[in-house]
Amino acid sequence: MSRARLTLARRLVDGLAATGHYLWGGWGSLASLCLFFALWEFTAQRLGSLILPTPGEAFATLTGLFASGEAWPEIAVTARRALLGYVLALSLGSLLGLLAGLSVTASVMARPIVTLLVGTPPIAWLILALLWFGAGDGTPVFTVFIACFPIIFVGAMQGTRTLDGQLQAVAQMFGLPGWMKLTDVYLPHVVSYLFPGWITALGTAWKVVVMAELLATSDGVGAALAVTRSHLDTAASMAWIVALVGSLLAIEYLLLEPIKRKVESWRNFA
Amino acid sequence: MNRLFDRIFQTGAPVWLCPFRPFFLLTAAHGVLAMAAWIAFLSGLLPLPDVAGGAVVWHAHEMLFGFAMASIVGFLLTAVPEFTGLPSIPRRRLQVLVALWLGGRLAFTFSGALTAWPAALCDLALLLTLIASVAGPIWHQPDRRHVAFIYNLLALLAVHAGFYVALLGGHDPMPWLRLSIGVLMALIIVALSRISMRLVNDVLEAQGGESAPYLARPPRRNLAIFAIAAYSAGEFLLPGHAVAGWLALAAAAAIANLLNDWHVGRALCQRWVLIPYLGYVCMALGYALIGLGRLSGMEMTSAGEHLLVVGALGLAVLIVMAVAGRMHSGWGLDHRGWLPLGALLFVLAALARVGAGTPYAAAAATAGLQAAAMLWIVGWSLYLAYSLKPLSGPRPDDRGGCDEAAPVVEAATP
Repeated sequence: MSRARLTLARRLVDGLAATGHYLWGGWGSLASLCLFFALWEFTAQRLGSLILPTPGEAFATLTGLFASGEAWPEIAVTARRALLGYVLALSLGSLLGLLAGLSVTASVMARPIVTLLVGTPPIAWLILALLWFGAGDGTPVFTVFIACFPIIFVGAMQGTRTLDGQLQAVAQMFGLPGWMKLTDVYLPHVVSYLFPGWITALGTAWKVVVMAELLATSDGVGAALAVTRSHLDTAASMAWIVALVGSLLAIEYLLLEPIKRKVESWRNFA
Repeated sequence: MNRLFDRIFQTGAPVWLCPFRPFFLLTAAHGVLAMAAWIAFLSGLLPLPDVAGGAVVWHAHEMLFGFAMASIVGFLLTAVPEFTGLPSIPRRRLQVLVALWLGGRLAFTFSGALTAWPAALCDLALLLTLIASVAGPIWHQPDRRHVAFIYNLLALLAVHAGFYVALLGGHDPMPWLRLSIGVLMALIIVALSRISMRLVNDVLEAQGGESAPYLARPPRRNLAIFAIAAYSAGEFLLPGHAVAGWLALAAAAAIANLLNDWHVGRALCQRWVLIPYLGYVCMALGYALIGLGRLSGMEMTSAGEHLLVVGALGLAVLIVMAVAGRMHSGWGLDHRGWLPLGALLFVLAALARVGAGTPYAAAAATAGLQAAAMLWIVGWSLYLAYSLKPLSGPRPDDRGGCDEAAPVVEAATP
């Protein structure tokens, strides 16, 4: 009993230490970002703040937007649209992709269609969506969905296509129960293909939704960007861009990357 | 008196056994004397010295190219033969180096009357001789693992030459001194990575348990050095510019990132790990202070720079001299209480100096400066008092020159 408790405590401590190491590693990313800000500052000072505001001006404007309460509602609207489209693409794309990967025929059939979907620029989908759904939530949600779907689909399909036949045979031979086969043999492999697709798709969703909003809606971050552009308010434009990129970085490094490390940890031992 | 004279000036005297001996003594002695003189000038106890470039330039130059340079010469002339397995430099050349260093200090102090030429000749000759003595062995190592030291020394030579060109040409030499702080910080990172690999792992090993070994990871180190170089170059080319502020923040973050190597669990509480760690903390905070001050419009560059040179440089020099000075004189690591106390004094000195340099404490600035100087002086006096015997006396064992002490943790205490 106490031994079990000890191992649990030990694992907890190790987990905390690993998390601490990971979070502390953020300093390295911060260093690169500061080097980038230095470059930005240098360019901005050369070009003048009408063309490119300095990082300081952009951050100050952004702080102002948050302090006045202007920013939150717009971000909430945009996040809702992006997430809705993303979740749709994630569930449908993963499911169909996994199924398609099980059959060689289905994979061969799906490939040209996926190439077609990937090759069509999101702006073309946006035009179609505007015709079909008009100005409203439908347009950005659909555009996000159609932009993310093929990315996730391909990842999922590759996941099942490349399953290791030998491992399956070994699992069979040892008579592993079905549940164990799923969690210990299939899932780790499939997830390691699915996850990169999910992450790429999330970045795409966040970018595409803003583009769709810029042209199709009157609220959300994209619409706010359109307003700042028409007012020639470069500082506010830059502030919104910083908010967008900042939130994307935060989601990627604080949420997705740690999960990715967790699910891919088996690769270190493989 | 006669015995002391014999001890120092005879070629066979123990002080010449190994290059670190005279130079570590000079480092600590100069740390005490040059700081005492500076605080006496500031407090009006002594008239301002008649030196080329003015009293502030004298102070900065003596701490960077007098105090720090002596420790670098002593460290490299001892470490490079150990890295390469080649014999140490001949005693005669060591004596010439000491004479050049002393000549440089005297010549700079009297540069009002002598002009800066004699000081420039002595100081640059010292650096050139050092480079000539260590570059060959490092370069001819098959894998050139320590070549970073050569680049660092060449950078130091270029910066020091630039300083004298500016001084002799009647230009402001301070930007060159600022630049040299960056070179010294990079040198600290390079040197500590070599020393810590050994020291931290020894501590981990002594503790036992199944902790992962400590590794000074090159990518982290290189990022930190790159960011420091970027800041130093930025500040040199665009002084007072916000670009340098961001670059300083980048340097601070990159050094903080370097500390991830050092998070090795309980071993961090051991003095051999904690003192260099605190040095890095001071380095990161120093650059952070410079960057934040610049970007917020409250200039704190001088305060930040003093965190670098008093905190980071002071602690790095202390740990290097405390370890190398005892290991290579045969006495073994020093486990007495003066070492953590000395480190604490330097941290406090750095904080007091920062306090004196921030706009909030303008009223108490003089008191802060004096407190910082006193703490620094007491710290180096402690080092001198406890290291005089290992540095100037005969070895307790019958090994030769620079040989390392047997790996016994506690040897006889002097």
